Amino acid sequence: MYRYLIFLLLVGNVNAHQMSPTYPEWSASYLDGISNTRVRLFNKREDVKYYEVGVFDKDMKPIPFVTQYHLRGVNFNQYATFDIFINDKYKKDAVYVCTESMLTEVKSSGVASKICSKFK
Amino acid sequence: MVKEIALIGIVGIMSYGGSKSAFALDVPISASVTGSCVISVENNGTYGQPNAYKLSTAPADGGQMPITRVDVTLASAYKVKFTAPDSFSSSPVLNDVVTFTGDTEVSAVSDATNMADYETDKVEVDMSDEYTLSATGSTWFKHSSTANNGGDRAFPSGNYTAYVTAECIAI
Repeated sequence: MYRYLIFLLLVGNVNAHQMSPTYPEWSASYLDGISNTRVRLFNKREDVKYYEVGVFDKDMKPIPFVTQYHLRGVNFNQYATFDIFINDKYKKDAVYVCTESMLTEVKSSGVASKICSKFK
Repeated sequence: MVKEIALIGIVGIMSYGGSKSAFALDVPISASVTGSCVISVENNGTYGQPNAYKLSTAPADGGQMPITRVDVTLASAYKVKFTAPDSFSSSPVLNDVVTFTGDTEVSAVSDATNMADYETDKVEVDMSDEYTLSATGSTWFKHSSTANNGGDRAFPSGNYTAYVTAECIAI
């Protein structure tokens, strides 16, 4: 019983940022010359309300893309799905899709998190 | 007549058995395993102030090191990079140049055999420490940060915030 309580205390405060899949793939969209992919994020960070999504090349330089919200509010303990559209001419340069926590000064944990999946 | 009826019966049973196997259903059990990386902040960091011109997360200085945990579900699919702060994200107006130092160390692992080399194999560049996560499971990292105000001048009173950046990048 005591072990269980201690475990609860330890995990109760954990703030987590999760993203999947590790290796997303582009697929043809309903628009000519445009491909799309989807990544999923889980926000278990109480100190983070917004996440920014970005697409980058191999040197982490930004690549043009379209999504509904580049900066998106994700409530605590909620999943969010990002549908990302890219012009086919940029597709071969796109290597990473990343989500990054946007920290507010109040109640911050002192750690900014960024997770990047890779197009192979 | 009896023989014919018996033969028809045998053929019927055989064909029933045959058609049963021909129409047998294979019930699929499918799964889609997608890897993921999870960055968890287990301990918030706080600066202690051992003297007027120094802020430090070291427990000996009255601070608390932030601790992060990184979970990966695919082996050798991610590297994780931690960058210690080199400036305050918020502070009062400073009265001198502040020098930052910082470091990250593995503090615990979930797989002592396959993660034993994480700390020795890390790559340090300036304020960043990079680890290749070659095994699945959880790794805990502790981060230290120190800020020294130039000329040993006292830090102005107010609230100070600095961030460690944790990046989990698919490889």
